[in-house]
Amino acid sequence: MTTRREFLKQFGAASLVSLGAMPPSFLARAAAATEAKPDERILVLVQLAGGNDGLNTVVPFGRDEYYRARPGVGIGMDAVLKLNGELGLHPAMDGFQKLFDEGWLSVIQGVGYPNPDRSHFRSMDIWQSAKPEKDDVSNGWLGRALDSTVEQHVGKVPGLAFGTDKLPLSLVASKINVPTVRDVKGYQLQLGPGNESALKAHKQSLERIASRDAMAGSDLDFLRRTARMAWSSAEQLKQISASYKPATAYPGNALGQKLRTVAEIISSDLSTRMYFVHLDGFDTHSQQANAHQALLTELSSAITAFVGDLKGHGLADRVLVATFSEFGRRVAENGSLGTDHGAASQMFVISPKCKGGIVGAHPSLTDLDDGDLKFHTDFRSVYATLLDHWLSIPSAPVLGGAFRPVEFV
Amino acid sequence: MANEIQRTDVTWSRSAATHLLWRSGFGASIDEIQQATQDGLDKTLDRLLSPPAETAEFRKADALLRQAAFDSGNIADLKTWWLHRMTASANPLVEKLTLLWHNHFSTSNAKVDSIPLMAAQNDLLRRESLGSFRRVLHGMASDVAMLIWLDSNSNRKRHPNENFAREVMELFSLGVGNYSEHDIQEAARAFTGWHVRDGEFWFNAIQHDTGEKVVFTKRGNFDGGDIVELCLDHPACPRFLAFKLLRQFVEPSPSKEHIDALAARIRQHNFEWRLILRELFSSRLFFAESSRLSIIKSPVELLLGAVRQLQAKPNLQSLARLSAELGQDIFEPPTVKGWDGGRLWISSTTLIQRANFATALTKSNQHGSISFAGLRVEDDVNYFVELLLARDVGPDAVAELRQFTNNQTGDPENRLRSLVQFVMQMPEYQLT
Repeated sequence: MTTRREFLKQFGAASLVSLGAMPPSFLARAAAATEAKPDERILVLVQLAGGNDGLNTVVPFGRDEYYRARPGVGIGMDAVLKLNGELGLHPAMDGFQKLFDEGWLSVIQGVGYPNPDRSHFRSMDIWQSAKPEKDDVSNGWLGRALDSTVEQHVGKVPGLAFGTDKLPLSLVASKINVPTVRDVKGYQLQLGPGNESALKAHKQSLERIASRDAMAGSDLDFLRRTARMAWSSAEQLKQISASYKPATAYPGNALGQKLRTVAEIISSDLSTRMYFVHLDGFDTHSQQANAHQALLTELSSAITAFVGDLKGHGLADRVLVATFSEFGRRVAENGSLGTDHGAASQMFVISPKCKGGIVGAHPSLTDLDDGDLKFHTDFRSVYATLLDHWLSIPSAPVLGGAFRPVEFV
Repeated sequence: MANEIQRTDVTWSRSAATHLLWRSGFGASIDEIQQATQDGLDKTLDRLLSPPAETAEFRKADALLRQAAFDSGNIADLKTWWLHRMTASANPLVEKLTLLWHNHFSTSNAKVDSIPLMAAQNDLLRRESLGSFRRVLHGMASDVAMLIWLDSNSNRKRHPNENFAREVMELFSLGVGNYSEHDIQEAARAFTGWHVRDGEFWFNAIQHDTGEKVVFTKRGNFDGGDIVELCLDHPACPRFLAFKLLRQFVEPSPSKEHIDALAARIRQHNFEWRLILRELFSSRLFFAESSRLSIIKSPVELLLGAVRQLQAKPNLQSLARLSAELGQDIFEPPTVKGWDGGRLWISSTTLIQRANFATALTKSNQHGSISFAGLRVEDDVNYFVELLLARDVGPDAVAELRQFTNNQTGDPENRLRSLVQFVMQMPEYQLT
């Protein structure tokens, strides 16, 4: 529970000045938000698609083995943003360094799964279905979490994939059709000219037509459920304030713009508890330095702006951001100044409510699994922690077993 | 279950005719449905499988559009050219098959970057659409767009590149699980030196590995053509093609029994499509109740289907762009795997866009224009439900539609436009 003193401390003197311009109702909401009930907590999942090079993201600059394996692409000891005596962030991630110093950023080390698959498609399916041992991609881990709490979501938009057309497997559920929104502006059912009551009648008529029962599991059933969710979520998104004022400046990059809209939606009380956004391009096989620098700049600047914005709106305590990627990359660089598909890597968790710091030991750089880092923390342990200790959704039925929680929240 | 491919005993009807025309083409106008209903199954199949000559008007437009694309060098113009063929050709089945094989041999101009090469590959697919898969697969092994797409020039004697050899087996003829990594490595050697020079296929003898290879446990000094033959002889090949054909024309999730039954006919007819398709399109399976209205329309099927059903004057440029937004960018498929299809076409975003397309087509001229001038029907609700949905939607839906239509203000034409808009926004409209 946040005390009043902590609440004020969080905003800092500078923020309080800007808060002076905010309407009183906003302040009341901000204060109330810090007392978030468990069912108001929000998870924002950020996918780093392509396989992020974890070793050049959180750099083990204190180990000679790192520099021996990476004479061409290694990040120099002087350049890394030090987190402690042996680990440092890629120089592009100054925002993350500040979050780390404030205790808002946890780095979970050595995350992976047994018998790692080095195919993008398969490994991404494994991370999103959370069923490494089965070739079952009929639903995802967050989708099953929504299914298990389906009675709480009637008439709501419980999850949202943002900035994409295709619903990511993570959010595929059996009982709920999670909407995907490429951009809020285009996400409106257009019915053409007509007065308001006629258009409303049209929409209601469509809803009645699409609410009829179809054979469970049939394509028609799927289409009707998706249509209902699409129309109602479009209606709800229409309500989000066009006059939203971010409390911090967002970078112009795509992830920043997506997260800006997510903040906008969160601030409008849409009751959505899971957001999914992605950043693509991490498959850095050759000449990776510039591309990787740009990606990490985007990641760090966008998320830093996002949590700063939430903080300014008194919403930060309700939100936790977690990143994942289908695999890390090989310890040794390849012959074209890049890195090939690997296995274990780190996950980032960002929230004022997380414990902060480095969680777990850095995997050995010499005791390798076919040239790759060995995992010591199953990714489902991280998921279990997010479900049990953040979203308050029992994890065992969702993950098909109990996984030891990880100490980060 | 082999009798599933046996001749249907379905009573020929308007609904059977609609099913055949929708699946074998892109939607159908009321006149086309009436013609097929009158002609019966065999005569309709004759027309589909022994295509009539195109009209002079069509040939003129076709030549102009193609020339425009070659002149501009802009792939958008080649998309327009192809969409015109799909919309206006007297042989819609040929275009539908060309699209099926474009997805199967998924090649994107994003990498090939050449109008003539993309057009040449498209011509090959069209030429053999009712011909022979054997010739298509051989043709693809030396198709210039394909060789560029799969980096064949880097497939050299001392450094084989497995890209093409892998896709020939995984995506073009056998499917995963029917070959080993070793088969791919050996097949890649057989394709070494199959290069491109000056925009043409070139057998680069110096870079060709003439040594002995072992593929599918067979041993020989194979070259690329031999590998294609070995794939065609492989028992998995007709099954893989049967799966693709069934998913396109019959059912979204073909059963093993159906796949095996059709695969046997594909082998029997030695990959000759005209014979195979005649059996498929007159089979019990094709006309079974479970096959009807069971497939989710692809964006191209949705958009061109509406155009043809309503005899709209289409804006093909804007339809090509909309199709891309909906996930199907012809000549620029996303990966070598092509479009996944089925339920993956549908998300809340694309479903809203699909509904907005109905509004645009009926209430504005953005994607084309329609007219109901001169349309005299006794019961407009039943008429459009049958034309656009081809199903019994039940009395409550009919009542809803009547009430909706009666509440529309404005002239009769506007009333009909609203009715059509509404029917196209019903989830049922996404199925074919």
